[in-house]
Amino acid sequence: MVVYSLYILNKAAGLIYQRDFNEGLRKLSSNDYLVLSGTFHAVHAIASRISPVPSSSGIEVLETETFRLQCFQTLTGTKFLLISEPRQQGSDAILRRIYELYADYVIKNPFYQIEMPVRCDLFDRHLGAYIKSL
Amino acid sequence: MSKLPTPSRASSDKSSSHPGFAVRSSATSSSLASRRATVYDRNMNRRAPDLALSTFAFLFSEMVQYSQKNVKGVQEMENRLSAYGYHVGQRVLELATVREIKNAKRETRVLGLLQFINTTIWKAIFGKVADALEKSKDQEDEYMIIDNNPVANSYISVPKELSSLDCASFQAGVIEAVMDGCQFPAKITAHSVPTELYPLKTVFLVKLDPLVIEREKYMR
Amino acid sequence: MAVRTPRQIGEDVWKTRIEKVNAELVTLTYGSVVAQLCKDFTNDYIQVNEQLDKMGYNIGIRLIEDILARTNSERCRSFKDTAEMISKVGFKIFLNITPAILNWSQDNKQFSLIFDDNPLSDFVELPDDGKAINELWYSNILCGVLRGALEMVQLQVEAKFVSDVLRGDDTTEMRVTLIRVLEDEMPVGDE
Repeated sequence: MVVYSLYILNKAAGLIYQRDFNEGLRKLSSNDYLVLSGTFHAVHAIASRISPVPSSSGIEVLETETFRLQCFQTLTGTKFLLISEPRQQGSDAILRRIYELYADYVIKNPFYQIEMPVRCDLFDRHLGAYIKSL
Repeated sequence: MSKLPTPSRASSDKSSSHPGFAVRSSATSSSLASRRATVYDRNMNRRAPDLALSTFAFLFSEMVQYSQKNVKGVQEMENRLSAYGYHVGQRVLELATVREIKNAKRETRVLGLLQFINTTIWKAIFGKVADALEKSKDQEDEYMIIDNNPVANSYISVPKELSSLDCASFQAGVIEAVMDGCQFPAKITAHSVPTELYPLKTVFLVKLDPLVIEREKYMR
Repeated sequence: MAVRTPRQIGEDVWKTRIEKVNAELVTLTYGSVVAQLCKDFTNDYIQVNEQLDKMGYNIGIRLIEDILARTNSERCRSFKDTAEMISKVGFKIFLNITPAILNWSQDNKQFSLIFDDNPLSDFVELPDDGKAINELWYSNILCGVLRGALEMVQLQVEAKFVSDVLRGDDTTEMRVTLIRVLEDEMPVGDE
């Protein structure tokens, strides 16, 4: 399983966490990342509105020739975006595990303010170890 | 308003908190309440079931945030967390001693007490024994209790601006209360010494009061 | 996969996905918090209640993520479902208790939680100064937790204790009222 990157968006579409797991990925500037996440949030919302089927969710999976994007939105509005290689299986389980790690090492950290950028050492460490183990 | 309760206080309608007293005021509601089971009737040796680590973590996280208010520095914050731990430690000592009543031995030597803390106390409150106990080589009044994974720090990542803060000061407070309770006054501080294998490894530095050192020498 | 009841979800998660600590650690730590607050507010128990509620709220807005992460829950379809989830999953996972849900109001917007067992108040006695027994709600943090957690899933509720065995009452009862559903804050894609 190859996971390329993870993005975490808060309720207000702000990018609170971004991490690349693979060497050799094209690096964007931090501004680009912010624009990227804002755009995704908007497109996600538009998709649910223009869907021909009533009460659709927003974009869940986006597949292209070079990558696969899966979006997991929690009931609280936080979005987890996983970018992996095309035709990747098991992204569901990966995203759920990442949500658990987030609930542990970010949410339970008294020094983390809700909706703010994530700067938690333990989260970085455990996330890195988990992705490496895949 | 006097805070000392007296059994014959007629002004209060509720029962007095001394159910063992035979003397009762006239109010009927108090005699009714006196027949109801009180905390004294419960079995204290009931092994409490376990609860989620998350519950403790959330509560502790909120305590840390509350302690940050109006605080003037890392030291003061650590003192506040230590105070919570002290409150807990006083009660853990009583509980642990009573539960061990058959094997209870009053510790009179420093090493004995520290081993008691490392094993019995740590097990009673944190569910495991501490990982090591060391004596300082250059200071005769210093000992070190080592915990590779202190429960208090399970999910906490201290930001760089506060890097000298160690929330395990809570656990240091527990140790301090136990030592005070056993007549071995000491100052306990928590220090993070991360290693590759144990990134949360913490040393609890026990600095004994000179009184204790004197007494130890006398008992040799 | 068969649909599981909240009780089954709660039991399952409690047994398999929760790391455990001694209950006494929680009981004593909570006790030290209430004691510290009583000291900080010089026994103004009304203020202590408020502070406990505030602290509970701060915990609740975070706690909800933990529950959702561990249980993969779907959105509840009715307030009755919500009540079931709160009791059989929420309280089960965090306090290993399942308070009874009783006294539904006619419009199904109000219910009571009856606590037979409360780890937070194990072996607690309120101070005998005549005031605490009439004014302090010892476990008031739980009201704030419920309020905060439900607000994050777009339910505005009011939660408060109406009786407490620590105050000499027969039962410990918390009344939960749905004020309104926060439609405008619903994440996109949810109905």
